[in-house]
Amino acid sequence: MSLRRLFVVATAFAALAPAASAATADLPDLPASSPRTASYSIDARFEPATHIIEGTLALDWRNASNVPLTTFPFHLYWNAFRNTLSTSARGQGPRAARFDDTDRGFGYTQVKSIRLVGDREADLTPTLCYIHPDDDNANDRTLMEVTTPAPVAPGEWVRFRIDWTSRVPLGRPGRAGWVHDYVLAAQWFPKIGVHRNGAWNAHQFHALGEFFSDYGVYDVRLTVPRALTVGATGRLLGAPTDNADGTSTHRFFQEDVHDFAWTASRRFLDRTSRLNERGLPPVDIRLLLQPEHAPMADRYLEAMKVALRRYGSWSAPYPYGHVTVVDAPWGSTSGGMEYPTLFTSEAHLWSPTALQEPEGVTIHEAGHQFWYGLVGNNETEEAWLDEGINSYHEDKALFLEMGPSAIAARYFGVRDPRGRRTGWPVVTPGVAIGRGEGHVDDLVQNGRKDTFRRSWDYDTWPAYYTNAYDKPALTLQTLEALVGDDTMTRILNTYARRYRFDHPTTEDFIRTVGEVTGKDYRWFFEETWFSSGLCDYAIEAGNVTVPSLRGYKDGPDGRVAWTSLPKGDSAKDSFQGTVTVRRLGEVRMPVEILIELADGRQVREPWDGRDRWKRFVFDQKVRRAVVDPARVLAIDVNPVNNTWAEDKGEARRATTKWTLRFMLWLQNLLELHTVLG
Amino acid sequence: MRRALVDGLRMALRPMGLPLILLATNVVFAAVLAVPFAGLLETSLRETASADTMVRGFDFPWWSHWSHERSGWSSAFGPAILGSGFAFKNVEALIGGELPARLFVHETEGVPRARPRREEGLDPLVLALAVLYLALQTFLVGGVLGVLRGSGSYTLRGLLHGSGFYFGRMARIAILALAAHAALFALNAPVARWADRHALETVTEAGALAWSLGQKGLLLLGILFIHMLSCYAKVITVVEERQSASLALVSSIGFCLGCLRQTFGHYLAVALLGVALLIAWSAADGHWMATGFRTQMVTLLLAQGLVLGRIVLRVALLGGQVSLYRRLKAR
Repeated sequence: MSLRRLFVVATAFAALAPAASAATADLPDLPASSPRTASYSIDARFEPATHIIEGTLALDWRNASNVPLTTFPFHLYWNAFRNTLSTSARGQGPRAARFDDTDRGFGYTQVKSIRLVGDREADLTPTLCYIHPDDDNANDRTLMEVTTPAPVAPGEWVRFRIDWTSRVPLGRPGRAGWVHDYVLAAQWFPKIGVHRNGAWNAHQFHALGEFFSDYGVYDVRLTVPRALTVGATGRLLGAPTDNADGTSTHRFFQEDVHDFAWTASRRFLDRTSRLNERGLPPVDIRLLLQPEHAPMADRYLEAMKVALRRYGSWSAPYPYGHVTVVDAPWGSTSGGMEYPTLFTSEAHLWSPTALQEPEGVTIHEAGHQFWYGLVGNNETEEAWLDEGINSYHEDKALFLEMGPSAIAARYFGVRDPRGRRTGWPVVTPGVAIGRGEGHVDDLVQNGRKDTFRRSWDYDTWPAYYTNAYDKPALTLQTLEALVGDDTMTRILNTYARRYRFDHPTTEDFIRTVGEVTGKDYRWFFEETWFSSGLCDYAIEAGNVTVPSLRGYKDGPDGRVAWTSLPKGDSAKDSFQGTVTVRRLGEVRMPVEILIELADGRQVREPWDGRDRWKRFVFDQKVRRAVVDPARVLAIDVNPVNNTWAEDKGEARRATTKWTLRFMLWLQNLLELHTVLG
Repeated sequence: MRRALVDGLRMALRPMGLPLILLATNVVFAAVLAVPFAGLLETSLRETASADTMVRGFDFPWWSHWSHERSGWSSAFGPAILGSGFAFKNVEALIGGELPARLFVHETEGVPRARPRREEGLDPLVLALAVLYLALQTFLVGGVLGVLRGSGSYTLRGLLHGSGFYFGRMARIAILALAAHAALFALNAPVARWADRHALETVTEAGALAWSLGQKGLLLLGILFIHMLSCYAKVITVVEERQSASLALVSSIGFCLGCLRQTFGHYLAVALLGVALLIAWSAADGHWMATGFRTQMVTLLLAQGLVLGRIVLRVALLGGQVSLYRRLKAR
């Protein structure tokens, strides 16, 4: 079945699917609110000319653990850009802190004072020290620690007051930063760590990996020059207040989120739309768009609606009622990152719809509102939980809504700050990438190099990317095929509802799979998530002639009798068909084998895949043999060797067809050389 | 200029066998790799379901696996060369300094790439074959100009004789042209890095593209200009029976700069015809399913028609230059 036809069928099935709300009866109840363990009230002032933020925050924090605590770690992420000796600057990957030959790439967060206020008034500033639990890098200041004079008892609330100054770094290669008049302030204020399982979970800011924090309420007042259009986490409370000095103060408020980010620029076009979908709460969508991308506004907004609609039914409805999409400008690397109720996306000037840009990245980052935002797993330690589930859903949503993606090369352009080529896109006619197929390439290259681990512990950035995005997405696509689409949706519905506003782990996810399916699927995750092996099944077949009986046989009287075939009677020869299925990879999965025989019969054989190979013998010719005919194993890195088919001349025809194309390229190349002589 | 264009096309088409001979050389050279490529492809596709998919369309998973297993010249096969991509890929290789034999490659990018792509960069074997082709065409160009200079009638023996007679001078002009290209690319490298840095600092992607396209456009114009000078040097050598290649090139520079509007206008008009040819091919390509041998034959004929058209334009360029040179010199 061609990809296009498959897409039409899949879309038809999707249209027939019942509304999400109809099947929520047996699912866990959604919590009314988050634990609100860490709530921030922030006053900040941004000075664009110097890229300085002066801020004061009050943090109301509850000791949700069962042990008294005296030490408190705080993240100071922008100190990754403080100098060239930070842990991030010494790291690898496209987000590692890097600096050009000017001072603009440098930034910092400097805490001026930190105090306990209220009943336990105390100045903690003298106790402030920098800690580096991950790598002992004494030059890294992305994590500070303060000590209270007396322990904070379990269940007790305390209020910290922090005064700080930040310098915003240039917006590349980090996620936060400024470019021209655009600024994205993310991970921009001192932020307390998460106390889990009897210990603080607070890591330095590494070049690889993202973030982890507790839920709470954010009440933020931002003062910026009046000419700037501002977008932020949360809902704007009232109109901005104009100040005498030419600035405006914007107040944003949001409950039950675990981070706060904001952006500002003079150049934003402000577009809005609203999702009104039966069975889902309405959502106001705000798009802050670069003027040069104005023609793409509808594509952005439609992608947002796709994400809210699809993810809303595949996990749990989006509760906040509003979301802001920021179209990152040229020259910034802030594009494609998630924050609560706000995220950044990106687009190229020339973006044919077939390439699904900006739809893909928009759906992905919008999807993080569900997987990261509402289900707040630890991104730094288990990135696959949010990136993997989200990539799986992104692939599914894109395929159902837009069909297979096209492929294109871009020519004559310049590389963007992330090193990706811009330029004129030449879309290859007739080439389509099916659901999940785009991940296989990375899995082949990096799958054996590493397995799931803490983000900064990966050997290479591609290994991190493969294990956070590609492999879990393909694994979950495989699980979907194994348990069925409805069951898979139910697994994720259950997981999303049970762990809303919580910090689930991989074990929680595996337990949920077992609970919903009623079977123990640990073996599945042992073979995939906890293995660095690849999955590759192959099949081969052959037909050999079995000669008619010649020689001695039992005679009618029971004695040995001689028989011989009359000359020229070879037509009586029969055939023996042999099918051998092999497990070339390390991953063991049960598979089905489909064999089509010469008489038209179809034989289906199950195989547990434990051995390296299994052979099936038939007393007639085999026409076709397929291992995994239903393409259950999306993680199979080489689906080409899954089918053996009797050659009826297709290989020759395909060969001539594509050799002509190769030859045309070569002929053109040869002829182009004449320009040089 | 228009007359030169018409004259050139008439001269190129009058001895139609001439472009066909040049096409034959092109096909033979391409076949050196195309034939073993067919063998590799058939081996990979035999007894797979991908064979059927590849007859009806393009099997991306098959190609993905194929490209992993391939290295060297055959790894060039991929989506990038399909559709009109082959022309873009080749022109990008040209302005990237990869042609010929990676002689003019410089570090031109001010921004590091995200990660190297497998299909980027031409294989040394392909480049070596192309250098041989360039040498052969340099050999033949003297004979071709000899035919264009005369009445248009020729014999194969006469063509080869003319080619041999002028080869030394044509080769020296070609070497001088390559040296000029080397200088151009050496000059281009810092300019490209400078433009790249400016592109990164612009406010919009449109601005960045303007920097990039502007720089690459100028480089391409420079390449074409040098080619035009080299062509006129060859024309002058044959038309005036010059003995010195370098003096012919000096005369060519003087002539072209003296009549820049006509000479470069004519050159660009021929180049635009080439672009039009490619657009026509792109518009036609993909409108039929080349699934059977008959439809594949149609594709073959159209593809060879495209290459032939390109060769006719090359001959027409020379013919037009002979005509233009004679007329302008006569004034």
